Amino acid sequence: MSVMSRFMAPCLVALALAHTLPAAALEPATGKVILTITGKIGEKNAGNSAVFDLTMLEKLPQQSFTTKTPWDKQPVKFTGPYLRDVLSVVKANGTTLKANALNDYKTSIPMADAQRFDMVLAHKINDKAIPVRTKGPLFIIYPFDTKTELQATTYYERAAWQLKSIDIE
Amino acid sequence: MPARQDNQRYLLWLGLCTLAMAVVMAVLLVLQLTQRQAIRASSETRVDSLTAMAFQFEREFLRFRQALDSTVNSASPPDADTLTLRYDIFISRLNLLRDNPSTAALLARPEYVKALPLVDQLIERTDLAFSQTPWSAPVLAGVLADFNAIGPDVQALSLAADSLVARLVEQQQNKLLSQNNQIIGLTVAQLILLLVAAVALVRRQQRQEQERLALEKLTQDLRDAKLGAESANRAKSQFLANMSHELRTPFNGILGMLGLLEDSPLNAQQADYLHTVRGSANHLMTLLNDILDVSAMEAGKLHIKAAPVNLGDLLRDVEALMRPLAKDKKLAFNMAVQTKLPPWVLNDGTRLKQILYNLLNNAIKFTAQGEVGLTVLAHTPGPDDPEGTGESGTSRDNGLDFVITDTGMGIDADGLSRLFQRFYQVDSGVTRKFGGTGLGLEISQTLANLLGGRITVRSQPGQGSSFTVYLPLTTCKAPAAAPALPVPLTPVAPNQPVINQATDATAPNRPAPRVLVVEDHPVNSKFVGVLLNRMGCETEFCEDGQQALDKVQETSFDLILMDINMPVMDGLAATRAIRAMPQAISRVPVIVLTADMTSETHTQAMAAGATDFLTKPVQIAQFRATVQPYLTNLASP
Repeated sequence: MSVMSRFMAPCLVALALAHTLPAAALEPATGKVILTITGKIGEKNAGNSAVFDLTMLEKLPQQSFTTKTPWDKQPVKFTGPYLRDVLSVVKANGTTLKANALNDYKTSIPMADAQRFDMVLAHKINDKAIPVRTKGPLFIIYPFDTKTELQATTYYERAAWQLKSIDIE
Repeated sequence: MPARQDNQRYLLWLGLCTLAMAVVMAVLLVLQLTQRQAIRASSETRVDSLTAMAFQFEREFLRFRQALDSTVNSASPPDADTLTLRYDIFISRLNLLRDNPSTAALLARPEYVKALPLVDQLIERTDLAFSQTPWSAPVLAGVLADFNAIGPDVQALSLAADSLVARLVEQQQNKLLSQNNQIIGLTVAQLILLLVAAVALVRRQQRQEQERLALEKLTQDLRDAKLGAESANRAKSQFLANMSHELRTPFNGILGMLGLLEDSPLNAQQADYLHTVRGSANHLMTLLNDILDVSAMEAGKLHIKAAPVNLGDLLRDVEALMRPLAKDKKLAFNMAVQTKLPPWVLNDGTRLKQILYNLLNNAIKFTAQGEVGLTVLAHTPGPDDPEGTGESGTSRDNGLDFVITDTGMGIDADGLSRLFQRFYQVDSGVTRKFGGTGLGLEISQTLANLLGGRITVRSQPGQGSSFTVYLPLTTCKAPAAAPALPVPLTPVAPNQPVINQATDATAPNRPAPRVLVVEDHPVNSKFVGVLLNRMGCETEFCEDGQQALDKVQETSFDLILMDINMPVMDGLAATRAIRAMPQAISRVPVIVLTADMTSETHTQAMAAGATDFLTKPVQIAQFRATVQPYLTNLASP
């Protein structure tokens, strides 16, 4: 497979999803808001932001993978939608994601990472919802085990947990 | 050999050096791998800084305590959501500290051992307190008091983490430094080893260069010595050739005079003495000729002159010469021709005869009793015979084998192997007994090769010998006219009957023919004069070509005998000058006399205008045969 088609495939998936999802404006969150997306986005449902409750995230196609992380002694299974699907839903069009965690941790993720890697916005670890007392409620996770280049501080730092909000720049 | 030992020692040394270096490098490699492993392990276990985790734990502890404090001291009702979130975050930090793979060392620190159970108890109490909704102010105040009490212990955790990390870093650094020191040590050792090896290599190279130069010098010296020896040898050969040539001239005179003496009336005793002298003289002549031939061979100047040869005549000549020699030793001489001889073949008759004389002479010389034989056969190709075997499978070609057999002492295997070597004689004692130069067989073999053939020999001690001369044959037509040159040159054998013929070849009533003899050597001149006088001629003499030209212009001659090599003007120039004179003079026949038997000289003489050609030493019979026709023609015009 050529580099181009490898690169194109996720784009097409994203496009296709954009079409199958409700074409109307993003539905408002009914449950407890666990994710707020601001900045350069095309879809909003709460003033200048797009907000998500757990149900909204669970409606997106769910992905799972198991990987080792520096924070756990055993490999861990993560479940949630692809980050790029979430971004597609809000029609994000910036170059950088600024992720903010509950404890005020901040990290920058290049937009391209979401396309290059099958990053997941996990809401389950080992098939269980993630409480704030561990690393919940949301966890941006890279598939570390699929590529050695990912096993580096750069990407470990980008994997934000206790995720609260994302600002698209 | 010392050089070889040296070489072996060097190789051993080289091997040890290489081994040592390989070992050092292997150790280095292991060290590097260990270091790599260590770095990788540390990067895996310390992705998250311990201090950061401890600090964040304390921070979230403080933030929750702050939020709790605000709630307790506020008049408004407590914000349960915010407080619970801060509490959960605080607990998540505790979990992180506890569950993280890299915190094992930290958890073993006494500060942690002391504080963590306290924190766990605190959480237990807080969870209990938070579960009793709605929250009452005194309960929250109790929780706050608890949190305040544990504050110093939690702060100690951050400091402990900092101290631990500092220690770990120090340990890591020390480990790296010590490994680094080992690597440096090994590298230095390798460097030294390398330098030592390089120095040794340079020294060896220098020594080898010295040896090479010494060897080169030795080679050069040997080459010079060889050249010197060769040059000396050549000089000696040249001297021999010159000497034998110089000896021949006076010796020809002796032979000529001997011939004349033999023609004169002698008593029996004188004839016997003379016979002995003749034998010795012939022997001496053979030796001189051998030496000349060998000189020519060495100079590569021994050449073959092919001309039509009548084999029958040739064999008759050989028999005529050899039969008396055999008879003298009371040996039977058997000659048999067992094949059909072609009448004329193209060959060098003189050289062929020389080979046969030589082998037969040897056969007779080394045979005390019995017989000597010469058999001529069609050639039978031998196993080592490349020619003749290839075509049509027959065992014959048109060559001939001349087989010389004797019943003499024979030759052993060792003798056979060296038979054709120069100066070799079967037994050095034999030389004393039989004489000879030891050159004959070498010359014969060389001549046979030049004629396209070879000589092989079979013999066993005590059972006689058999020499076979193989000769390839090229048949040819009979020469158009009886040639002047191939008149058989018959050396005078010791016992050859002297032809004591009547001398009056010319009719007595005619004036004696006048012959001019141009010859610078007095003995030769005298000899030829005597021969001519006996043939009834008047003779006049002069010593060079110029004098001859003067003479022929003064008086007329019927015949001129002209030597070639003379001072002032040589015979060829003189002959040409005579041919250029007015007709009466230029028509006088000129017979050229020379010791040089090469065909080249013959051609030159004929080209200069010579009528005929005679070789020296002058043989009486040949002389008569050649000269007589010119006198007879003159007598009956």
